[in-house]
Amino acid sequence: MTRAIKVAHLFPELLNLYADQGNLAVLCQRGARRDVSVEVVPVRLGDPLQLGDFDLLLLGGGSDREQAVVARELFRYADDIKAGIELELPVLAVCGGYQLLGQYYELPDGTRIPGLGAVDVVTKAGPANQRLIGNVAITWDHGSARDHNTVVGFENHGGRTFHDYNALGKVIRGHGNNGVDGKEGIVYKGVIGTYIHGPLLPKNPHVADFLLQRALRYRGHPDHLDDLDDGLEWLAHGTVLRMLSIKTGDQGVTI
Amino acid sequence: MQMIQAIRASIAIVVSRWVATVLRWTGRAGTSLPGLVATRISPQLVHRLLRQLDTCVLVTGTNGKTTTTEYLHALLSQDADRWLVNRGGANLLQGLLAALLTVSDARGRLRIRRAVLEVDEATLPLIAQSAHPRLVVLTNVMRDQLDRYGEIDQTLALLNRGLSDPSVTLVANADDPLCAALAEGRMDTVLYGFSSEVATPGCPDGVRDGAFCLKCGAELTYAGYFYGQFGMYECGHCGFGRVEPHFTGRVSSCDGFRQLEVEEVARRTSIQYSVALGLSGLYNAYNLLAAVAAARTLGVAPDRLNEGVARFSPPIGRMQVFPGDPESVLALIKNPAGANSVLRALIQDPREMAVCFAINDQDADGRDVSWLWDVDVEDFVATVTCQRFYCAGTRAADMALRLAYAGVPRERVTVLAALDDVTGIACGGQVQVLYVLSTYTALHPLAERLPRRLGLRRMVSEEVHA
Repeated sequence: MTRAIKVAHLFPELLNLYADQGNLAVLCQRGARRDVSVEVVPVRLGDPLQLGDFDLLLLGGGSDREQAVVARELFRYADDIKAGIELELPVLAVCGGYQLLGQYYELPDGTRIPGLGAVDVVTKAGPANQRLIGNVAITWDHGSARDHNTVVGFENHGGRTFHDYNALGKVIRGHGNNGVDGKEGIVYKGVIGTYIHGPLLPKNPHVADFLLQRALRYRGHPDHLDDLDDGLEWLAHGTVLRMLSIKTGDQGVTI
Repeated sequence: MQMIQAIRASIAIVVSRWVATVLRWTGRAGTSLPGLVATRISPQLVHRLLRQLDTCVLVTGTNGKTTTTEYLHALLSQDADRWLVNRGGANLLQGLLAALLTVSDARGRLRIRRAVLEVDEATLPLIAQSAHPRLVVLTNVMRDQLDRYGEIDQTLALLNRGLSDPSVTLVANADDPLCAALAEGRMDTVLYGFSSEVATPGCPDGVRDGAFCLKCGAELTYAGYFYGQFGMYECGHCGFGRVEPHFTGRVSSCDGFRQLEVEEVARRTSIQYSVALGLSGLYNAYNLLAAVAAARTLGVAPDRLNEGVARFSPPIGRMQVFPGDPESVLALIKNPAGANSVLRALIQDPREMAVCFAINDQDADGRDVSWLWDVDVEDFVATVTCQRFYCAGTRAADMALRLAYAGVPRERVTVLAALDDVTGIACGGQVQVLYVLSTYTALHPLAERLPRRLGLRRMVSEEVHA
């Protein structure tokens, strides 16, 4: 029997700064190849968000202007989203979306732009013209793919993010949440928040499968996923590791 | 202080000339290196030279700068009139300086006092004052590589700063809502655009950059569109909308020769003329139309446009054709909007093709390759008759993944280990053209290598059809 899950792509018209639809293409195709139907529903500004319909939320990043619009819109659902997350609702939040899940974004003058407060994460604007930009590689120990213990991509953010949860991974090369504490992203229940784009999922198929399994479980389906031929995926993944002079062995990266 | 600056400028000129000579000896001419060296020694030199220009025309915008500049230079260079031009997309400060130095004497005086200069959007505000342009051409405003400028709002802010003198004539694309918004409220604006009769009716799909009105923030509606955000837009909220351009273009074809038909309206009279269009792709017709509008504004007579276009030689890798069996065509792709325009031109080509993407991630290419996922690859692979895809460059694997997730069966995608391997692509018996789409830093190496395909024998038996 086909297992079906439903993904809400939140405000694609505003939050698609870093090619986030690439993440959706990956979820859909990797689902389809395992007989899991992944339906993506774009939720646009002004559309009602029926949170109960969905098994995964995708929250991308936008420009400052666009993100302010989204924050205002999402406030109405802040309590629902928070409750959903506590019940293991999977969320993938990238860049601006990651910041938006938190308590606030503090501007240089101390003004705090409130976020959804769904997780206890705060972000502060970094010094002007000191964005954290570049290829990034972090550790990965959440899924089952033991021989692939890294996540790679590109980061480009001005904000410095701080929290006490588990990180998505430890920074091997790059900056991560804030360039200081060595953490990148967040994993809390079903939530993955990260600054890594590129987009995140094509070069990190283990993260894509992790999210798919989370969503399947959330919907009450069995979460088994057959292995796929991911030769191209790991080739692209390895390209970034090599660019960052990270040596890999049979057991993945020795960290 | 003045004295010190003058001395620094002189030293910079001497040293950079020496560098240029060495580069010529070693066969590596045509780079910005002399300009880079001179800027290091004397940051003021570029401004000192720019101030000497009697007539300065600047070309800026996200896409089409290099081709528009070449067209405009060809149109303006009538008879003995010589105009300085910066070639090959060298559009940052050091590139401008390198071009200026080629016509400067040892004392820093320009021998040619008229220039058509391509300028990067971020460089425009830096030179707007010293160059004091007679006219600025703004081709379009689209999303470029994000790691260069951040967001499109920032590009708009840069352009606004660069165009802050309202007396400068602005030649702008009327079909692009972002361009047109920048052109509003100026003393002298010349607009160009395509005829609404050739627009595709309806709203363009997935407009990214101009979806919202710059004036009031409401969503724009379209009566018709050409491509991307270009079309007959209107804001239902504040009334901002496309105005009839002064130069209206349409592409016609006569005996296999493509022509740009132009209708020019000035003081309620209208004249019509046509100009030969050498390059394929609607985006290149836009580039020629922009150049024609600028040239006409600067006083070039309509009956001299065609001899001007005859002097035009396309910049490297702008649908550049290399003979071979089959022939290969090299085209620059560097951002989603530009890549989409190129892919659209490929869709128009009825021939059976193989396509090679050469994707690098050096600074000049954009280090962040996520833009590949913003290119409309799905539409392309579903429409085009392409036997086989090849991927090369430092980010070949990223492009291969992009194709795979756009629905291309993985066995039809080949990742090439090195850029050199592009010359060895042996197309199958039915393939009539090999398109090579390349980012900036792979473009010149490929332009050097593709002629070698001439000696390549076509493969007789074809493993591709397996």
